[in-house]
Amino acid sequence: MIAAMPAPLPAPTFDAGAAYPEVNDLHKALDAADWPAVQALFADRDPGFHTLLVGEAGDHIGAAAFLRRVYDEDPTDQLAGTLLGTHLIRAGWRIRSAARAQHVSRSQFDKFHEHLRRAEQVLIDVTARYPDDADAWTQRITLARGLELGQNEARRRYDRLARHHPHHAPAQASLLQQLCPKWSGDWDRAFAFARECTQAAPGGAPNAVLVAEAHLERWLDFDSEREWAAYLRDNPVADEVMQAGQRSVLHPEFVNRPGWVWVRSTFALMFSLTEQWSAAAGQFRALGNLGTDYPWAYVDGAEGFTKYRAKAYAKGGQS
Amino acid sequence: MIQHLDVDGVPTLLAPTGGPMHAGLTFRVGTADETLARAGTTHLIEHLALAPLGLADYHVNGMTAPAFTTFHTQGSETDIAAFLTAVCGHLSDLPVARLDVEKEILRTEWSSRGAAAMDEIPLWRYGAQDFGLSSYPEWGLGALTADDLREWTARWFTRENAVLWIAGERVPAGLRFALPAGVRQPVPAASSVLPQTPAYFVNGARAVVLDSVVRRRTAASIFAGVLERELYRSLRQDAGLSYTTTAGYEPRGDGYASLRALADALSEKQDAVLGGFIDVLAKLRVGRIEQADLDATVAKREDSLSTAEVEAARLPSYALNVLTGEPNPTIDEHRAELKAVSLADLHEVAGEVTASALLMVPGGHTADWAGFAAAPTHSTEILQGTTYSSMEGNAALRIGADGVTLLRTDHPLTVRYDDCSAVLVWPDGARQLIGSDAIALHIEPTLFNLHPAAIPAIDAKVPDDRQIAMPARAPDAIPQPKAVVRQPTKPANSTWWEVPAMVLSGVGVLLVGGLSVLLTLAMLLTETEPGEEQLWGAVVVLWLLTVILALPIVKRRRRRRRRR
Repeated sequence: MIAAMPAPLPAPTFDAGAAYPEVNDLHKALDAADWPAVQALFADRDPGFHTLLVGEAGDHIGAAAFLRRVYDEDPTDQLAGTLLGTHLIRAGWRIRSAARAQHVSRSQFDKFHEHLRRAEQVLIDVTARYPDDADAWTQRITLARGLELGQNEARRRYDRLARHHPHHAPAQASLLQQLCPKWSGDWDRAFAFARECTQAAPGGAPNAVLVAEAHLERWLDFDSEREWAAYLRDNPVADEVMQAGQRSVLHPEFVNRPGWVWVRSTFALMFSLTEQWSAAAGQFRALGNLGTDYPWAYVDGAEGFTKYRAKAYAKGGQS
Repeated sequence: MIQHLDVDGVPTLLAPTGGPMHAGLTFRVGTADETLARAGTTHLIEHLALAPLGLADYHVNGMTAPAFTTFHTQGSETDIAAFLTAVCGHLSDLPVARLDVEKEILRTEWSSRGAAAMDEIPLWRYGAQDFGLSSYPEWGLGALTADDLREWTARWFTRENAVLWIAGERVPAGLRFALPAGVRQPVPAASSVLPQTPAYFVNGARAVVLDSVVRRRTAASIFAGVLERELYRSLRQDAGLSYTTTAGYEPRGDGYASLRALADALSEKQDAVLGGFIDVLAKLRVGRIEQADLDATVAKREDSLSTAEVEAARLPSYALNVLTGEPNPTIDEHRAELKAVSLADLHEVAGEVTASALLMVPGGHTADWAGFAAAPTHSTEILQGTTYSSMEGNAALRIGADGVTLLRTDHPLTVRYDDCSAVLVWPDGARQLIGSDAIALHIEPTLFNLHPAAIPAIDAKVPDDRQIAMPARAPDAIPQPKAVVRQPTKPANSTWWEVPAMVLSGVGVLLVGGLSVLLTLAMLLTETEPGEEQLWGAVVVLWLLTVILALPIVKRRRRRRRRR
């Protein structure tokens, strides 16, 4: 009998353009400094996709001057303000780097805060003019965190957004970060918020990803191998991750709406870490070679993706 | 209609009332006309004028505001005539026998009043001068003499600088005012110590307060009502973050008005109240103003204009306009102005409010992230002079020919003598120089290596009339330099066996170490005979033994070092 050589699995990509072709169009329009084309790409998108595209535009490094010019031409333009504000935030965060605070220099912090203050002042105006703008509020939740304005202020911003968009997962994920101890929150509030978002959303909605994220953040916060292992071996943790999965990615009504790559990536990782290999394999199959920086950056990016995918297929079966 | 009359040379306003007769005599003088070193003069005179009437069987009251002083009464026609005659009589011939008693009463009034969140605002905007003086204690009281007061009344409490208003049928017959002749005094020019606005400062009060200066007009007074409704809705009704949300509008008398707003906060929700407050201001600034709020505010004002008492009710503010020469529209004109206020007008006011804003934020917070500049809390200038070091090593005092600079680890404080509003003088040598910009530079001689002539040198440079004598302090209220903390000489936590162990270890090291040295030397200096190779082994063993014996000493020394 000749053992069949398994076809090598495709290398993962975290490029959003691979999952959502519109993202490539957006980058092209930004490169061409074509504002009408940018506007057309954002027109009539659902709020989740809108926020995803805003983030992509914010990360488009060469777009700073273009976005500033469009904003200056009409500071009352909702999209122009949101994109400029987001771009300033991302640029500031690149200066700060993702390192823990003690590893960031004074001058890095000054520049970081200077960018965030400029972004905040642009976005204060956007939310003042358009109080139902999910993107601008989502970015202002992130700003409250970066500017260290306080737990209640971040929550107030989320509440302003939730009045119009009660299940906006990107904003919920941003507030969840604020509620973690690394940003002066506490685990009780972080988990309570994650569970509250999960319960409130309809079955098949992506919001249960918050519970998976909360467990991921909790796990990362431990200091020793022993604690890491103990946390993942804990049955209630694995059970809750599974229940969250059943409410979202494993729910019959779950569909791949924009943002799905992040949601499935998070579940793929958490199912893997809790050794629920068959469920993990299911998510990897759905993902193919697609992934997102978050959460994979926490486990060495593509390397972690490849490692856990291989384990999931080996132990959970590839059908 | 309000009638304009002249009674014994004093402009007089008369309006009918269905209620009891009441009257007020208002002068164009107040705390903003004083200086810091003479703060309290007007208030003291107001008290002296009323003091002999303290037991009158009709209602009497006095009030000293930044630009106005009012004497008010309610009673029969005879009572009112008696009151006005008495007040003017006392003003022109002050009952100075009561001077010391009234000073004490004023000191008690100051110390017993509750500190309000708004109290600090004037000094942050205007400094230690004119409209900023209402933030300060009445430090002038101590030094004020009867002659000082007489000089003040002769200048300010004159016929020409007064307006009488009466709500009632007629002016009491035969009314005479024993007031000196003088001139109508203009409202003092308002200073500003804010290099840029919008600005913010930090205060420990659990509230966010907005102070702004806008052109006086009906739209601005309506804006205050709209702002109050917006604050109530977003901070109290929707978010449940505040209990009190208020806004007020008060003409300053110079064509401008102070527009202020406050939202209080639970201590743990202050960040959200600040954020919510800033968002409310932003909403109005970008022009998203609710028509319903405008309509409701206008309707409320119109209601108050429709009452039978409207003319009598507006006599006090009408009198202020007469004193400052500002227009007094008729009720119909006022109604028309209210009707004409548009959302665009309010948007324009919102722009003025934001541009001139001074925001008071709770402790531990800032507002720079929202585009508000930090109001100055230190000086930019450092003066030349002789430098005296602090005994605690964290500051230095520089006393020069032009003023004093306190050099600190962060930012300097400087007060120039020619810009010094007042110096507080304590008998023990402590001084506090207060610049007109409200920078307060406190000197505790016990904390600096000062030359004995340093403090007298400061005193000599500041005119006597700006020096305020402060009461002696209890010895324990005078700060002393913190003693240098010494490490305890006796090692803490040493156990009973440590000393004998060290001695034994030391002796052992000396013996075995000495032997090791001797043997090593002997081995090196003499040629090694065949069969003596194993002696090298003995040398190694001896050295090892030395090291082992020395270990307790080394470890113990290390441990001590760590404890420090």
